Amino acid sequence: MIASFRAENLKTRKRWANWILIGILLAWILLLTYLTLFLVVTLSPKSIQGPVPASVLKRRLFPENFVPTVLSAAGTIGAAIMLIFGALSTASEFGWLTVQTILIQKPTRVAVMFGKYLAVAAATLLISILVFGAAALASFAAVTFDGSSSSWPAWEVILKGFGALLLQLTIWAAFGAFLGIAFHSTAAAIGGGLTYLFVGEALLGGLLRNTPIVKDVLRFLPGINGDAINAAFPLTIRDSAGQTQLVGAGRGVITLLVYLVVFTVLSLLIFQRRDVGGG
Amino acid sequence: MALAQTLAVETRGLTKRYSTGVLAVNNLDLRVRAGEVYGFLGPNGAGKTTTLRLLSGLLHPTSGTAVVAGAAPGSPASLARMGAMVETPAFYPYLSGRDNLRVVARYASVPKSRIEPVLKLVDLTDRARHKFKTYSTGMKQRLGVAAALLKAPDLLILDEPTSGLDPQGTIEMRALIKELKQGGRTVLLSSHLLNEVELTCDRVGVIAKGQLVAEGTVDELRARSGGSALLIRATPLDQARRLVEALVKPEQVRVEGETLLLSVDPSQAASINRRLVSDGVDVSELRVSEQSLEAVFLELTETSQK
Repeated sequence: MIASFRAENLKTRKRWANWILIGILLAWILLLTYLTLFLVVTLSPKSIQGPVPASVLKRRLFPENFVPTVLSAAGTIGAAIMLIFGALSTASEFGWLTVQTILIQKPTRVAVMFGKYLAVAAATLLISILVFGAAALASFAAVTFDGSSSSWPAWEVILKGFGALLLQLTIWAAFGAFLGIAFHSTAAAIGGGLTYLFVGEALLGGLLRNTPIVKDVLRFLPGINGDAINAAFPLTIRDSAGQTQLVGAGRGVITLLVYLVVFTVLSLLIFQRRDVGGG
Repeated sequence: MALAQTLAVETRGLTKRYSTGVLAVNNLDLRVRAGEVYGFLGPNGAGKTTTLRLLSGLLHPTSGTAVVAGAAPGSPASLARMGAMVETPAFYPYLSGRDNLRVVARYASVPKSRIEPVLKLVDLTDRARHKFKTYSTGMKQRLGVAAALLKAPDLLILDEPTSGLDPQGTIEMRALIKELKQGGRTVLLSSHLLNEVELTCDRVGVIAKGQLVAEGTVDELRARSGGSALLIRATPLDQARRLVEALVKPEQVRVEGETLLLSVDPSQAASINRRLVSDGVDVSELRVSEQSLEAVFLELTETSQK
């Protein structure tokens, strides 16, 4: 398994597409979340400002709120990026037929599979650190430029927040990897995954959130459970009416961990049994 | 190190039926001896690549058993002693040739010091730093062979190794295969190119519709299909044919263009010539004609189709 992990690591590191995905996620956090909001709040004339004063809105970007802000910003976009990353890591092997090059080396299919998942997990850890670090730096820059003062959250909150981000990004990467193995096609895995994410969970889930039957289904979906975890890290300001969560944070963590196990086991079963090539 | 057992590959009743219902390999009994170059010959769609995939552990058999390099196909013990290039050489397009081999070496737990020697062996050292996606077909094939050789395997499985190569590349690949055989290595190569098999293989197995229809050396296969024949160019041809049919069985005589081909023992050439000349037929050519492997191949595969 270590040999497979080392091989996967080399491939992951040298693949430009992966660095581009990380770049997009960081750009989203730094440019769109922090810089754009900071400029809009700072530069917009008072006449067009909303009911919440700019000085309050701005606090969202300060260190005291960097944990909920990064969790919110990395929510859907982070999920999409990680889903693509996971799908690329597995489905490309079938597209290029490199899966057969791998399988005719020494490791077993189980070792190949776990090596691949370990490499995806290691990359997700790195991405989480980069995203969390970038958000912390951006919040520090925001408060410094503004000349205001803000305190950092407690270490415990920072660690829990990092864990929440890592767990959610890992789930979506695992989901993408699972779809890649199930569909054997990069386009199908990414297309199917993003359709589920944006149309299934975000759009339909949002619109039908208060429908009793749908609500019962939504309680089991990864996005809803991720939102519930994020809600456990409230902002120090109240800029809009918060949404009622369908499940608690604790149940959210357990549900996501169950998803992680399910995606991994299903991927392994499919990968272990399926013929490679021919037919 | 050469394989200790006599057989490098042995299959018994190996069968593969795809989920689509296609029976690609049907009750195949194959025996490849250690140290030989075995040609797996068959027309497109005969089941060659499916068989090699089964032997590499990429496909699960529907029934039957196989032992490859002393162990079950696809098991770490078997894979550790075999190298394979099945169908098309498949590598990561964004990596260089050298980095692709680094990836393969890591999977195979082979020290990276093996990479440069195999690159040199397949003559890719100069292009090793370039990305795989920029490689020509011939270079891709050579990289495939290099990857298969990384483990210094006892058994090498090559699927259509000269496919897509230009004449020069084909000659080089054949020379490489002959070189690889040195030191007791077993090579199992599939091909639909008869000439290639004739030039490189010690023994040949002919597969058609997923079944082994013949096996032996090229000479044995020729002999099995009637072996050599007598070719006679004579004028007038009709008279010559009548005379010859009186000497041998009519079904042993066939007209091919301006010549007669007689499936008889070549030692009868003198008596046949004497008879033709004494009856006033002009014999301008009389020689032993080796039946081409193409003819043998067609006969064997067509017979199995009927």
